[in-house]
Amino acid sequence: MAIVTPGKRPSARFATSRILGGKMWRGRHTTNADLNVVPMVDMMTMLVIFLLQQFSATGEVLFMQKDIKLPDAQHGQQIEVAPVVAISAAQVVVSGQKVAEVSEVEKDPSQIIAPLVEKLRDEKKRWDFIHQNDQDRDKNWKGEVNVQADVRVPFRIVRRVMASAAEAGYGNVNLATVEESTMASAAAARVPR
Amino acid sequence: MGGGAMPEAGHGKRRRRALDASVNVVPAIDLLSCCISFLLFTAVWTQIGRLQTAPLGNGPPAETQPTKSLTVTLTVGQNGYVLATSAGAQIEIPLSGRTSDGAVLYDLKGLAERLKKLKSDFPDQAAITVAADDAVLYQDLVHTIDACVGAGLANVSVMGAS
Repeated sequence: MAIVTPGKRPSARFATSRILGGKMWRGRHTTNADLNVVPMVDMMTMLVIFLLQQFSATGEVLFMQKDIKLPDAQHGQQIEVAPVVAISAAQVVVSGQKVAEVSEVEKDPSQIIAPLVEKLRDEKKRWDFIHQNDQDRDKNWKGEVNVQADVRVPFRIVRRVMASAAEAGYGNVNLATVEESTMASAAAARVPR
Repeated sequence: MGGGAMPEAGHGKRRRRALDASVNVVPAIDLLSCCISFLLFTAVWTQIGRLQTAPLGNGPPAETQPTKSLTVTLTVGQNGYVLATSAGAQIEIPLSGRTSDGAVLYDLKGLAERLKKLKSDFPDQAAITVAADDAVLYQDLVHTIDACVGAGLANVSVMGAS
């Protein structure tokens, strides 16, 4: 079926009629309507510029969790991809898998957390397997682990996590923090106006 | 104003071209829409940083430490900070107070001043050992390490005080 412009479509007899045909055509507007898209392009350009400023090439290394509130710091470096040990008030989690309960860790007299050591060794084995053909494998091994702990977690738990990481071969422990500018903007957003 | 210049009226029978030229912005809008979608999906809203530390006292050492001219130890306890150096200096920085729920408030400003003075006395010094008490909260530890890094003592090692 042919595409026709919307509106009244008189029959051929009416269209040719001098009396009726003129009435049908009277007052018809053009179907081409120009929409001014310049403000929309401006807005989109500004959005793109803003989002490009927010862009991070490393992506989301740590995922914010409800039960973990990170402390703020002014002199933090950019976080890098490494195994993440998350310590909340209740449990210790490595890469999304729970390895220990905090209450059990508190009772345990040992200075290390055995399941955590095992899990981190597995992570190291995985890294070794991925980089098995790498000539400079030993040089590239940084031994970094990211610790994402809640602000209220006592040092005795963090110390055991750090000792376990060292036991598994991870000598560089990165303490995850929130940049203070982000905290300030979040606090400003919470202030009622 | 920004009006366009009129073309010269030569060759009388030729039709004049219209000055209004419309640019097709649809491809630009398509491109911008794709860009916005991609950037929104990949946007990182929370800027997370890291404070690099090395655990001391447990397990194998992380890496060989460079030769130090001075050993600086900062003890974080329930009574405040104690900054000690191998040169024999020992400076106590007491708590600045306590909160209503009994949590300790450390004097971070005083600590930063002391560390800056130490750094000015020993400009090559970059290593410091933070010895924290078991009851110290993670946020206090992080703030302490942050003050050390801010003063130029970037090689921070962490160990237990007890």
